[in-house]
Amino acid sequence: MKKVQFKSNYSQYFFLAPQLLILLIFLYWPIIQTFKDAFTMQDAFGFGSQFAGFDNFLFIFSDPSYFTAFKFTIIYSFVITLITGSIGLLLAVQANKVMHGKSAYKTLLIWPYAIAPAVVGVMANYFFSERYGLLHHLFNNLWGFNWYENVFDAYIYVIIAGSWKQISANFIFFLAGLQAIQKTVIEASIIDCKSNIRRFWTITFPLLMPTTFFLIIINITYAFFDTFGIIDTTTIGAPGSETKTLVYKAYIDGFKGLDLGSAGAQSIMMMIIVLVITIFQFRYIEGKIHYN
Amino acid sequence: MKKLISIFILLVSFAFTSNSYSKTEIHWWYGNSGFLGDVIIEIANRFNESQDEYMVIPTGKGSYEDNMAATIAAFRAGDQPHYSQVYDAGAAIMVAQVKNGVVIGFEEMAEKYGIDVDADNYIPGIKNFYADGDGKMIGVPFNSSTCLMYANMDILNEVGIEEVPKTYEEFEGMAQKILDAGYIPLLQSHSPWIWTENFFSRHNLLMTDGNNGYDAVPTKTLFAETEAFVYHWTKVKEWYEKGYYGYKGRAWGDNQAPFTNGEAAFWFGSAASFGGMKGVLPNFTTNPIPYWDSVTGGKEYPTFIGGAANWILNGHTEEEYKGLAKFIEFMGSPEMDLYYHNMTGYAAVTKGGIELAETINFYRASPYHKAVGDQLGLEGSTIPGGYRAGNWPQIREVIYENVEPMLNGDITVEKALSNMDKGAAKLLKQFAKTL
Repeated sequence: MKKVQFKSNYSQYFFLAPQLLILLIFLYWPIIQTFKDAFTMQDAFGFGSQFAGFDNFLFIFSDPSYFTAFKFTIIYSFVITLITGSIGLLLAVQANKVMHGKSAYKTLLIWPYAIAPAVVGVMANYFFSERYGLLHHLFNNLWGFNWYENVFDAYIYVIIAGSWKQISANFIFFLAGLQAIQKTVIEASIIDCKSNIRRFWTITFPLLMPTTFFLIIINITYAFFDTFGIIDTTTIGAPGSETKTLVYKAYIDGFKGLDLGSAGAQSIMMMIIVLVITIFQFRYIEGKIHYN
Repeated sequence: MKKLISIFILLVSFAFTSNSYSKTEIHWWYGNSGFLGDVIIEIANRFNESQDEYMVIPTGKGSYEDNMAATIAAFRAGDQPHYSQVYDAGAAIMVAQVKNGVVIGFEEMAEKYGIDVDADNYIPGIKNFYADGDGKMIGVPFNSSTCLMYANMDILNEVGIEEVPKTYEEFEGMAQKILDAGYIPLLQSHSPWIWTENFFSRHNLLMTDGNNGYDAVPTKTLFAETEAFVYHWTKVKEWYEKGYYGYKGRAWGDNQAPFTNGEAAFWFGSAASFGGMKGVLPNFTTNPIPYWDSVTGGKEYPTFIGGAANWILNGHTEEEYKGLAKFIEFMGSPEMDLYYHNMTGYAAVTKGGIELAETINFYRASPYHKAVGDQLGLEGSTIPGGYRAGNWPQIREVIYENVEPMLNGDITVEKALSNMDKGAAKLLKQFAKTL
């Protein structure tokens, strides 16, 4: 190994400085502030601040709606990951086979990805409106749909709203993954096996595993954090607090309820949850994936 | 070089033009949107045209909650407006901030900068709602509403009902008739505000301990232990199951829409809702909210003031506060008060405004406007005219969270109300720690 040595001891810091500054201001400072909020009790304007120990944490753990939000977030991220992953994969496989007008299909399928979550929520709002909503009327004719008070119906509402946009993201990555598979492998497999479906599950899908793993993480992160705008423009957490995600609850308590201590404690809990999920994924799932 | 000189000249001339037009700017943030927001802009415009020393710049921040959050965030960043509209549920938080030097009370402001409008010029009920424990008015009354009952007279005529119900008993008696004719008998737009807070005021019952927070910092709400309140929600649930009452979620507009479209006979909303309904629904009236005859023994009590007040925020220059004082004076004049009352349906908040309305026979021309003053002006209450309970925005959320599973049948009425009490007690305790 050859070592590259800088002459000056300081020039590297100079080049690192801008990036470090950005990290410091936009990442570390807010994190420190969150910790400060979580362990203090203060009024909305920041006065009467006093050290509270774990009081804020005890407060959220004694709040039944925190556990409801936790449960919903887990269900929501699982269902969204499953739905968007499978539909995205299906569309990608089909689009990959298309011979004519391939780019038109691709473009149309990618479009929804460019739409902001809040806008998706407003559109879903329209589809599920009791007065003129197409989907509302469809479901209402099927089983008497009423998301105002029925938890299951509210789930359907936010799951459809949350999945639609994310299917596009899954589609792009799966399509890119499919196109990265070497033609020779596919051709060799055609000689060995006639069944399309079997070939897909034994050759193509395993080769897509790195993409799938990546998308699972992306989808979970999306369901955890990015669906905020969708919840805020559709159910606002109703009925009860059944469709509040953890992020949405922290927002409601912090910004509408003006209780920064509780919101700070919830943010730290969220940080821990995401940390655990990520460690679990890299420890136990990634080991089973073979990169090229 | 020539280019440089011309750019320089341009810049200098810009600097001069902006300088010669400069007025003292006063920032006013508000939490109304749509038509009500337009009226606020119009008020600022009228003030700006009336004089040329000061300029009020109104900025809409979204909803009441949004505006309050924005104001607080701005204050913490040292960038607060001079004047901000904060709603009823935030009043306890704002009054508590006088001692921290965040808010300047109206009376202190009036003394220092010579506002020609006296605190006693405002209607006592409204003045007391925004006053501190010693009765000193802190917030400046602005858009003051209360909940009212709107009735679609065409539907009532069709099913043969002549009198609008005064009590819930009367409503219950006519609901089946309305339902049979294919209409929704009743809708309402805000369960915490209309059917919780104002249920207590309308029936002269205390909502929290510590005399609604006026005598001591409240530690609990009295929902489950107030028999009349349990009875009311038991009835509401029964009505919901029978179809007498239709629940359309938490969104204000979703509950109002069927009424505005002529599909519902009665709707409980705000006094300020009629502006959007006038000209859309042909034949409607505004009426006081019903009460349970069996609870009050035939007596009627006033409801709490709803809506919002404007609050003066600390941290600006003397010159700017002089301008703000002029603006408060302007808004407190009888003409502006009546203008706002007429445009929006919010109550007239000054004695001068009410006198003016009477001299010009305003209510004969526009009977819609009368119900709000009638209901707020009722006498005989033994409870305070408001509540001083912190974390109230979150307590409203707790109320909503328990109303839905109650209507759905997941939990009983008793369970829902005791859940509300438990949630509220925790939030009140949390707030007490920050005082």
